[in-house]
Amino acid sequence: MPELPDWFRDVAEYILREGLPVTLKLAALAVTASLAIGLVLGTLITIRFRPLQAVIRLYIEVWRGLPILVTVLFIYWSATANVGNYRLELSAFLSAAVGLSLWGSAQVAEATRGAVQSIPREQHEAAAALGFGWVGRHAFVIVPQALRRLLPPLVGLLVNIIQNTTIAYVIGVSEVLETANRQFENLTLAGDGHPFAIFGFVLLVFFLISFPLTRLAAYLERRLI
Amino acid sequence: MKVLAAFDWSFIWENRGQIWSGLKNTMKVAAIAIAGSFVIGLVLGAARAHRIPIVTQVGWIYVELIRNTPILVQIFLLHWAILPELGYAGDPFRTACLAITIWGGAFNTENFRAGFEAVPKSYREAGYALGFTPLRTFLNVTLPIGGRIALPSSINTYISVLKNTSLLLAIGYGELTTVANNIQALTFRTFEMFAVLAVVYLVLVWTLSGLIRLLESRLALPESR
Repeated sequence: MPELPDWFRDVAEYILREGLPVTLKLAALAVTASLAIGLVLGTLITIRFRPLQAVIRLYIEVWRGLPILVTVLFIYWSATANVGNYRLELSAFLSAAVGLSLWGSAQVAEATRGAVQSIPREQHEAAAALGFGWVGRHAFVIVPQALRRLLPPLVGLLVNIIQNTTIAYVIGVSEVLETANRQFENLTLAGDGHPFAIFGFVLLVFFLISFPLTRLAAYLERRLI
Repeated sequence: MKVLAAFDWSFIWENRGQIWSGLKNTMKVAAIAIAGSFVIGLVLGAARAHRIPIVTQVGWIYVELIRNTPILVQIFLLHWAILPELGYAGDPFRTACLAITIWGGAFNTENFRAGFEAVPKSYREAGYALGFTPLRTFLNVTLPIGGRIALPSSINTYISVLKNTSLLLAIGYGELTTVANNIQALTFRTFEMFAVLAVVYLVLVWTLSGLIRLLESRLALPESR
């Protein structure tokens, strides 16, 4: 195997040390928020109360329908605006996290709705017979069973969110793509930007993270359904 | 100075020229990419479903590589490394069409493969028994049935293709999101520009997903009605 040139070692190290932790933090934050919000909204929409269903449906369709970049840009644009007497300030990192979470929570909510509705009625009745109220019935009986069916799509969502963190590049968050592009621009000024090596490396980093996860999702789908 | 000015409809009207040209660019790339990913998906999907040697393996690598890496990184690699290497540097439109088509083609390959594989083997054998060549069997039996099965998921891919055109902001192709981003950067008309983006994307996305529901009921196979 040929020796890696010095410049490449520096670039790779910079991307992995500076960029990758930010990408992973952003993904972790977005996945956690998406799960928390999505599971609650997806369970609430199964209640047969039209106004509530309409509001959650609108939330899902809007944040799922918009390109994530548009959501992120809007949050970032208005992030330092004055709203009434309040000064709202949100960093680029948090703007990206909120944008990704809005999209992710809409995805989780839609998947949760399907999974919760697929749990047979008898489960609701049995839980009710044991004296559980609506909240206890869903928190301890229905949603845990729904989670089993949700697991494969949730792993898929994790892959999607990790890949979509690159959108934060557009608003200047120092994630993997931004750090790579910085190195590319520096090297271009010095003569040769080595775009193949740098962006190829970024592609490889994401592939190595995503591929095992998509395999896992496929495996879980075969095992659990 | 009032920082958060009232929503100004006339501002959108005054900038209609730019917005319209952005929308036209979005539609142009989306239309080309949808057509291209339809062709790629149909051909590679059919090859993969029929286990045609070499094409199947190459198709598998292509699909996994594209699905497990962020499209924004693919756009960068194509724009800064691959196309310049081939002597086509600096045309965002060319990168735009290629990158989005390649991305959509990979997802569509999976849609069509799944659709064709869902056609029972006995149908194909019936075709052979009637003296059809493999190609005729595909065109007369597998394609009409499997194509219908694949249609809803492939329209979903076209919706994503349309939404992904917004990422072309990163290479400065003047599509709708880029135009809105530029106008807002100069004028800070955040809500007006977001309203334009939201209305355009949501109308397009919701129309296409309405089309899916319509087609699902109209094109359903007789036995599943």
